[in-house]
Amino acid sequence: MEKEEVKKRIAEKFGDKVQIAERSEKRVYIYAENEVWVDLASFLFNDLDARFDTGVGIDDRDGVEVMFFFPFDREGYYVTVKTFAKKPYPELDSISPVIIGAKWIEQEIFEMYEVNFRNHPDLRPVLRSDTRPADFYPHKRENKCKLEMSRVKLDGKERTDEVAGRPLKGQNP
Amino acid sequence: MVKKIPIGPFHPILEEPEFFELHVDGENVIDIDMTIGWSHRGIEILSESKTWDQVPFLVERVCGICSCSHPYAYVKAVEDLLQVEVPKRAQYIRIITAELERLHSHLLWTGLAGHFIGYNTVFMWCWKYREPLLDILEAVTGNRNHYAMMRIGGVRRDVPPEEYGNIRKMLDKLWEKNDMLTKAIIDDPVIHARLKTVGIFNKDQCRLYGALGPTARAAGYDVDARRDHPIDAYGDLDFDVILCENGDVFDKAVVRQLENFEAIKIIRQCIDRLEEMGPMKDDSELCLEIGEIPPGEGIGVYEAPRGEVLHYIRSNGKNMPMRHKIRAPSFNNILTNEASVPGNTVAAAGLITAAVDPCYSCTERVGRVDVNTGERYVLSEGDLIRLSAEKTEEIRRQLGM
Repeated sequence: MEKEEVKKRIAEKFGDKVQIAERSEKRVYIYAENEVWVDLASFLFNDLDARFDTGVGIDDRDGVEVMFFFPFDREGYYVTVKTFAKKPYPELDSISPVIIGAKWIEQEIFEMYEVNFRNHPDLRPVLRSDTRPADFYPHKRENKCKLEMSRVKLDGKERTDEVAGRPLKGQNP
Repeated sequence: MVKKIPIGPFHPILEEPEFFELHVDGENVIDIDMTIGWSHRGIEILSESKTWDQVPFLVERVCGICSCSHPYAYVKAVEDLLQVEVPKRAQYIRIITAELERLHSHLLWTGLAGHFIGYNTVFMWCWKYREPLLDILEAVTGNRNHYAMMRIGGVRRDVPPEEYGNIRKMLDKLWEKNDMLTKAIIDDPVIHARLKTVGIFNKDQCRLYGALGPTARAAGYDVDARRDHPIDAYGDLDFDVILCENGDVFDKAVVRQLENFEAIKIIRQCIDRLEEMGPMKDDSELCLEIGEIPPGEGIGVYEAPRGEVLHYIRSNGKNMPMRHKIRAPSFNNILTNEASVPGNTVAAAGLITAAVDPCYSCTERVGRVDVNTGERYVLSEGDLIRLSAEKTEEIRRQLGM
């Protein structure tokens, strides 16, 4: 389905619950309110015939930004649906009951960012081993900071440069 | 009487660190439970502490066999953010490297598949035909694996014009050998009996599970990022997307074999275009000058041998990614075992899980637990391969061969 048609139909159905932005010819980004998140994913997948690709979580100070990618292969563009799960208890409805392929990526986002996907069929950690602490979410900002601080303490000053994104002294990046 | 057979956490045959728990009734699998992530290396979080130019070297290590596909998708993600188009010469060189990688990956899978079903000659043939391919990769990139060709804005080095002839010669020979292998697979009645109708995963399931690459195309689910989201010069090249319709292990093998021909066609076209361009005049034909990476986000996709690889990056204007998400095709494809393994026998389960072409690890073990008695057995990789080979022998005997 053509991009303009997709944008029009989404705007008609979801109104001010979504904000649509076109960043380039092949990338459309839609910011959705939590309450229409699953409906929008279902609409894209079932009604507009988009393919489901994968999802991403990004931790922010006030919550976790969750986005799922829906490519339209025949027309060659990607629609990215974003929403924001607010802290301290980020929660979202799961799209796994609609799209089975989203099951593992939701589990991954849960275990990395502590986003609780309601109605997920089996929200147990998918990647990490059982021996890691259950309340440790490695991609959360506060945990990342702790990891970086421990590296600084263990490895000394030059390591600080690498953590800050600067190449190590005397080495060609 | 239902028993549970835990397989893993390392893969029974392909040595991928995964955990499969098969729920079996006699020889028949009635359910499967899977856990992945046993060798989670934290590459995404590591990438967020590397500079933009260091990341391609890191993501090459996501997978030794897809060591071109991951950096390719990554540089495309950054170029998507920057909205730049790389020089034509660099585009062709990227495609040559990536398609050579596809050839060696598919040959590797066919060889191993042959080994698992007791066709060790196929295994030795594939390894033999793969060797000149790796020699060419070494001549072109400097390495048999981990090519370090990709760079944001282009490639690191030119393909020496004196190698064009060698690449063509190697491709001509490979075409013949691949043709012979393909016919051997398609015409063999034992392979038909062993692989057909095993592990069927249909088109509708592919869409629901998000299956990718040969796993999806074997069922007629028509997805190929090279055609659907053409990056670099793929849009200018003539190639077909190979589709089958049954979605069983046999079709997955056929799709891979036929894709080898398409990869050879693509490389030949790229070499022709490079020849038309003539020798390289200066470095600007290889790579753009890329300055700072501004704040923003980008998506890069590339059709790796196993299916579409996706990299997502977000920049906050600093000299390293603020977020780098990597989705390898196996992440989607391994989940398909949930639907394709139940209904088959234990001897077929290893083959079906291997048919999605997951990656390798160095250790493996298989435990078998009798839930009634609590008795545990440990089967080695050799035991599983023996079981699979015995099944093939049994079919051979039944067919009077």
